[in-house]
Amino acid sequence: MIEVDSLAAIRSGNRILDAVTLTVAEGTVTTLVGPSGGGKSTLLRCLNGLETFAEGRVTIAGHKLVAGEHLPRALERVRRDVGMVFQGFNLFPHLSAIDNVTLAPRIVRGVPAPEARRRGLGLLERVGLSRFAEARPATLSGGQQQRVAIARSLAMEPRVMLFDEPTSALDPQMSAEVLDVIVELARGGQTMVVVTHDHGFARRAATQVVELVAGRVHRAGPAAEILGGAGH
Amino acid sequence: MTPARQRERGCRPLWLLAAVWLLAAVPVDGLAAELDEVLARGELVWAADQEGGGPHVYVDPEHPTRLIGFEVELAEMLAAELGVKARFQQGQWDRLPLLLGRAADCVINGFESTPERARDWHCSRPYFAYSLQLVARRDSSLDSLDALAKEGPRGPWRVGVLTGSAAEIEMRRRTDLQVEVVGFDGTVDCLEQVRGRVLDAVLMDDCIASFNADRFGELRGVGRPFAGGTYTILTAPETPRLSAAIDDALGRLITDGRLKALYDRWDLAGRQQMLLLRDAAEVPPARRGSLADLIRGALPLLLRSAGMTILLSVASFPLAILIGLSVAVGRLHGPAWLRPFLAGYVELLRGTPLMLQLYALFFLLPKVGLALPAIVAAILGLAMNYSAYESEIYRAGLKAVPAGQFEAALALGMTKWQSLRHVLVPQAVRIVMPPVTSDFIALFKDTSVCSAITVIELTKRYSVLALSTGRIAELAIVTALLYLAMSWPLSLLSRWFERRLERRSERDPG
Ligand SMILES: Nc1ncnc2c1ncn2[C@@H]1O[C@H](COP(=O)(O)OP(=O)(O)OP(=O)(O)O)[C@@H](O)[C@H]1O
Ligand SMILES: [Mg+2]
Repeated sequence: MIEVDSLAAIRSGNRILDAVTLTVAEGTVTTLVGPSGGGKSTLLRCLNGLETFAEGRVTIAGHKLVAGEHLPRALERVRRDVGMVFQGFNLFPHLSAIDNVTLAPRIVRGVPAPEARRRGLGLLERVGLSRFAEARPATLSGGQQQRVAIARSLAMEPRVMLFDEPTSALDPQMSAEVLDVIVELARGGQTMVVVTHDHGFARRAATQVVELVAGRVHRAGPAAEILGGAGH
Repeated sequence: MTPARQRERGCRPLWLLAAVWLLAAVPVDGLAAELDEVLARGELVWAADQEGGGPHVYVDPEHPTRLIGFEVELAEMLAAELGVKARFQQGQWDRLPLLLGRAADCVINGFESTPERARDWHCSRPYFAYSLQLVARRDSSLDSLDALAKEGPRGPWRVGVLTGSAAEIEMRRRTDLQVEVVGFDGTVDCLEQVRGRVLDAVLMDDCIASFNADRFGELRGVGRPFAGGTYTILTAPETPRLSAAIDDALGRLITDGRLKALYDRWDLAGRQQMLLLRDAAEVPPARRGSLADLIRGALPLLLRSAGMTILLSVASFPLAILIGLSVAVGRLHGPAWLRPFLAGYVELLRGTPLMLQLYALFFLLPKVGLALPAIVAAILGLAMNYSAYESEIYRAGLKAVPAGQFEAALALGMTKWQSLRHVLVPQAVRIVMPPVTSDFIALFKDTSVCSAITVIELTKRYSVLALSTGRIAELAIVTALLYLAMSWPLSLLSRWFERRLERRSERDPG
């Protein structure tokens, strides 16, 4: 589902990603771990074309990305099949929860409003928030906002989901709510790449763990192998 | 139907309104017409400046809804001779001839025959003979025309004239006199300034001096009327048959005595002598009407003009926002080649006066074949001028939307324009609501500039009424109250937006 081949990214003259090669099989969960500044976010953003890279190739959900700039058209096609959830949620503050979820399907996919709403309510139900459909993001807790953000991404029915530290801005209890949703998605066979510092989650859900250090793949393998047994 | 959908619907009437309005307004004003078109239309459109004052054309102080003056009656008589109705078109005096060929068929407003005018326009046979009269305060040491040859007690004599009039030409020609010539837009202004000792004297047509003599009892004519010439009716050179028809009609009015009857009615023939007698002895100035009568008469007119002010504001501001927003989006997200042009547009409109822009739209565009009716030019000018300021506000607003919003929209597969339309712009619009509302109040007051291109709105109406009635202070208060009554709700609205926004940012930091 995802093939990354010898990817390198240069920012301000520094190679912040270098010779990154990895494979994510369909229906599996890959967690990206590693020290801060290791390049995890940059790699994730290269996968859906939010950032460009200098060398290498990416194949994701059947789309090919090469080094350098792409036409906006091509990137839009990639992003329709690749969802992304941000550390800071980035919900649209001027729209209610349900409108956040239905906006993209309506205007990007052309789903009729009633149909989009029906599906959107189903997704909010799935993340446990059907009661908050009409609430504005500002009135929701962090955990609730992140779950709306996940529903918003799922509404586009992406083949791959990317998560960039989805729980780092949350306290443990809210983190748990969000992680439960992500684990549930994993069980349902959703292909995912999750950047996280939470080794517990990695052990619980990851098929594969990739450790990025200073822009290179330091280690990669099954969770138990990379992270050791329970606890540190 | 989701709330978002309903909001999208809600925006549409605004666009429609602006478009329909523009389309509907364009064909209203007829352009200059030859005789047959005037006859077909059934209306002779004649231009004058009602602010110029009596006895030519002025607002009846007794019935402020009525325009009177000997030229009003002359225009009606001429139109009747042609078998049509007369329709009045307001304009600023020194620019009235520019209306020929677009908003008016002829100009009848005390235009003196001069070689320059005969070169640029068609001038009819004379319809009135005037002389120039110097007017000063009774207590002034300026007691004869000869006294102008020597400096007064405070240096050169300060003499007011109507800008562009024969009096101005005469004064500037006389280099032998020790005078400083000061140009004004209205003769009544000059008289006020003489009364207030800002000017030593004013030189004007004798009929105007006579007409205002009662209102300005503390002033008197100095010396006999001198120089002088005749008034002529101006028409466009492109309408020779209309010019000839007016000439013929005028000739008939002169030979069969109807013009004399008109002038007798206005006491324009024998009044000079009366005044010579009057000026020999003190006569108390005329009594004024009551304030209640004044307001009762003036208020409906002021209210109607306030309606024009509102129309100008509400038609131009949505347009300004539309253009401003497009320019802002273009400058931030448009193609690179477009950005310098948009920046130039903003700088040009911010760096030049609104008045100049209005002149350009109204007086210069017709030269390249694009004649806009005054009100369309006014609305367009206001909209363009304010669009420059709005675009800067929206640019700041768009920049204030966190970068994560754009990324989130793109990550959902939206195009750049979809992201702008549905995510960035709606948020920017909310952020800039307070400064935009206060700009609306500013535009609302700036509509007064439109009087320069013949649109009569509240301020213009005030100045016309104030000059014709002399109740400058009282009417100023009434007018100011009207402005306040209209802008106060807007201020409240803007403060409400601000409070709402503050509350939201408290709830939702970052
Ligand atoms: N546009 C840029 N210009 C210069 N340096 C950049 C740019 N983007 C990222 N970097 C640098 O690249 C490195 C990797 O950044 P990245 O955000 O991918 O790390 P990360 O692994 O996600 O870290 P964290 O765990 O803190 O989120 C950092 O040192 C960062 O400062
Ligand atoms: Mg990161």
